[in-house]
Amino acid sequence: MTSLRIFFVGGAIAYRALFNWISPWLYIPTMLGSPLFQILFFAYLGRFAGVEDDAFFVVGNAVQVCGMSCIYAMTMTIANERWFATLSPLLATPANRLALFTGRALPVIANGLVVSVFGFFVGWLFLDFEPAAGSVPALGLVLVVTVFSCTALGMVLGSIGLRARDVFFAANLAYYLLLLFCGVNVPFDELPGWMQTVGSVLPLTHGIEAAREVAAGEPLSSVTGLVWTELGIGVLYAAGAFALFRLFEAEGRRRASLETL
Amino acid sequence: MAVIEAVELRRTYRTSTGIFRRRAVDVEAVRGVSFEVGKGELFGLLGPNGAGKTTTIKMLITLLLPTSGTARVLGLDVVAEPREVRRRIGYVFGGDKGLYERLSALDNLRYFAELYSVPPRLQRKRIADLLELVGLTGRENERVEGYSRGMRQRLHIARGLIHDPEVVFLDEPTIGVDPVGARELRATIASLVAQGKTVLLTTHYMFEADSLCDRIAVIAHGRIVAEGTPGELKAQVADRTVVEIEAFDLAEDGIARVRGVPGVESVSVDERDGRHVLLVQSPRGLELTQPLLAALDGTSVGRVAAREPTLEDAYVALVGGDEGAR
Amino acid sequence: MTSLRVVWGGFRFHVKTLTLSNFFLLTTFLLPAIFASIAFFLVEAGGRPGTLLYTALGAGMMGVWSSTLFGSGGAIQWQRYQGTLELLVATPSPFLLVLLPITLASATVGAYSLGMTLVFGRVVFGVPLDLAHPVALVVAIPAMVIGLGFLGLLLATTFVLYRYANALSNLLEYPVWLVTGLLVPVSLLPVWVEPISWVLAPTWGVRAIRESALGGHPWSSIGMCLVLAALYFVLASFFLRVFERLARGRATLSLS
Repeated sequence: MTSLRIFFVGGAIAYRALFNWISPWLYIPTMLGSPLFQILFFAYLGRFAGVEDDAFFVVGNAVQVCGMSCIYAMTMTIANERWFATLSPLLATPANRLALFTGRALPVIANGLVVSVFGFFVGWLFLDFEPAAGSVPALGLVLVVTVFSCTALGMVLGSIGLRARDVFFAANLAYYLLLLFCGVNVPFDELPGWMQTVGSVLPLTHGIEAAREVAAGEPLSSVTGLVWTELGIGVLYAAGAFALFRLFEAEGRRRASLETL
Repeated sequence: MAVIEAVELRRTYRTSTGIFRRRAVDVEAVRGVSFEVGKGELFGLLGPNGAGKTTTIKMLITLLLPTSGTARVLGLDVVAEPREVRRRIGYVFGGDKGLYERLSALDNLRYFAELYSVPPRLQRKRIADLLELVGLTGRENERVEGYSRGMRQRLHIARGLIHDPEVVFLDEPTIGVDPVGARELRATIASLVAQGKTVLLTTHYMFEADSLCDRIAVIAHGRIVAEGTPGELKAQVADRTVVEIEAFDLAEDGIARVRGVPGVESVSVDERDGRHVLLVQSPRGLELTQPLLAALDGTSVGRVAAREPTLEDAYVALVGGDEGAR
Repeated sequence: MTSLRVVWGGFRFHVKTLTLSNFFLLTTFLLPAIFASIAFFLVEAGGRPGTLLYTALGAGMMGVWSSTLFGSGGAIQWQRYQGTLELLVATPSPFLLVLLPITLASATVGAYSLGMTLVFGRVVFGVPLDLAHPVALVVAIPAMVIGLGFLGLLLATTFVLYRYANALSNLLEYPVWLVTGLLVPVSLLPVWVEPISWVLAPTWGVRAIRESALGGHPWSSIGMCLVLAALYFVLASFFLRVFERLARGRATLSLS
């Protein structure tokens, strides 16, 4: 089944080709160092403001830092085709477009999980965070769904990057907006109504809420609604990203719009 | 059945001009191009920059939709059945970009082998054979970012052949490559036809088309202005004489007067080192040197020589000569 | 003094280039607005009275640091990418004088972030803008810019050698925000952090500005900014000579 090969093998090769921070000298400071300090920063801010506890900020930020991969790496793994002018040769192949497009997400999701797990570890090590006994598997599941859903947002940005010029600007902005709108650092109920509306259609919001409950000791069954919502959001974004990709491909054939750098 | 068939292909681009008041401008890049390529032929699409070669080839390889007209490759319609067409054709384009710089040549080939569904058990041997064919054996594990222009070009060719396509399209394959490298590339291209593949090549190098191609179509301003074997094209100007006149401070009306001399078939002006060289084509036997010099009265004239026409003159006549005709 | 002309000319050029870039928009306006909003929400939710202006100034300073950091590191990286790094090193002007305008310009452009955060805070969150020592503030801001600009210079010299300077830039954003007590007082951090904060210009910069605005003794903080700037300059000259020699030996100046 060549589509499967394109999905797995092709996806991995494309990731290596297009992910800018793949050398360890770039990877460690960016993907691990930065999240580490982000978690510390917000935990201390929370202590200063006297809001919630360390666990609140650790869970929120440890989940959100998956964005280092899910947003940035995912955007790169699609939009960089433009930079290398490899879009033409790619689209000249008969390869199944769905396999081609989604295969790249797999390494990104794996990477995102690594970053988030590292974040949780750092929170446990340096701050006052201790996941409830036996909650780790459930937390893991919630994390997988949430990382997938964040990756889907990255896929949308990547697709946009095939057409728009300054997509990394948007990717940067997206990463930071997630900090504000998704209840990562500010308790969701403290946000004004319109921000809550925006946050509820973004990835991470439901997943973080579920993760907090699970880490506090709630059983997985009590957060199934949140997890399904998060998964649904991810699927919708991913579908939208793929639709955009196909749209741009078709438009490219009609208007030669994909060649302009 | 023709392997490649283009029927009245047209392609219009809509661009906008101006910064403040953007106006939509339609540019007709290809204006009704038709030709056929038979099995095992090496067909050349020859024309100057901007003639519509790349646009035409992109339509044939399914990357661009024609505005009107049809094209078929191996009997398959490029618009209706793009995926089937893509499976059977290879596409090679010139330039530094278009490769994954961070990966090695081997990885680049492996990736496209997957995309073209080359069976895994065949990949290794096929890639090794291709590397050998294009002369990259031994360097396949180096990252492409360190490759020279010529090496990249060879890798492009290897990639275009990864799935052993029946038809290969090459867009200006030797552009920017040093003469020795280019010669090797041409030998490689010729060998493809020897293997039974059908090749369509675009180029603006005359001698390349002349030496490689079985048949040539000359394209200019989006139209095919001549078609035939290199010999046939040369014959079109075989009955002509070319008079080369070196002129200093040549003015527009001087050129117009030269054009107006009875018997003159085409005039092209070449600028070299601050002086102009007029190439005037006229029927063989017609002695026009005196009338031409009379037409240039007032302009300082240097060297004047009459000679046999070459394929380049044919090309120039076909491509540049219809300036007045437009 | 031609050196001064070189620096001033370069400074004006880089301020212009930076102001026109997309990235500037992001680091000086959008991101500080996001961080300030998070901080304001938290401070209000926690019910800690009278900290809004304190927080607003701190959030603004975060933007100044980001701009300085990425401007300085990015400048070297950009030169490397353009292929002009070698050329700059080969010019008759001391390399330091080529770098200084870039880092000073980055800090200056970052100062917009201070103003912007205050306006944003006032308009959206109702931050009270009563300033205790306005005169001192007028002096404090340039002093802060100078302090940060020279710290940026010191950083830029290390980036000459290190190929992946941008990655290091990413790594120095949050830690400096934390350690210099921009949003969170240093007293809340582990004890051993405090001495580190004393040698970093943003610590004194934010103190100078906060003491001018909220009341206190800004002049000693202003003085510290300038003292540190001089120290950074000395260190930068020394490192640059060492690093330049190393970079030329290892041939890492040209690789992009």
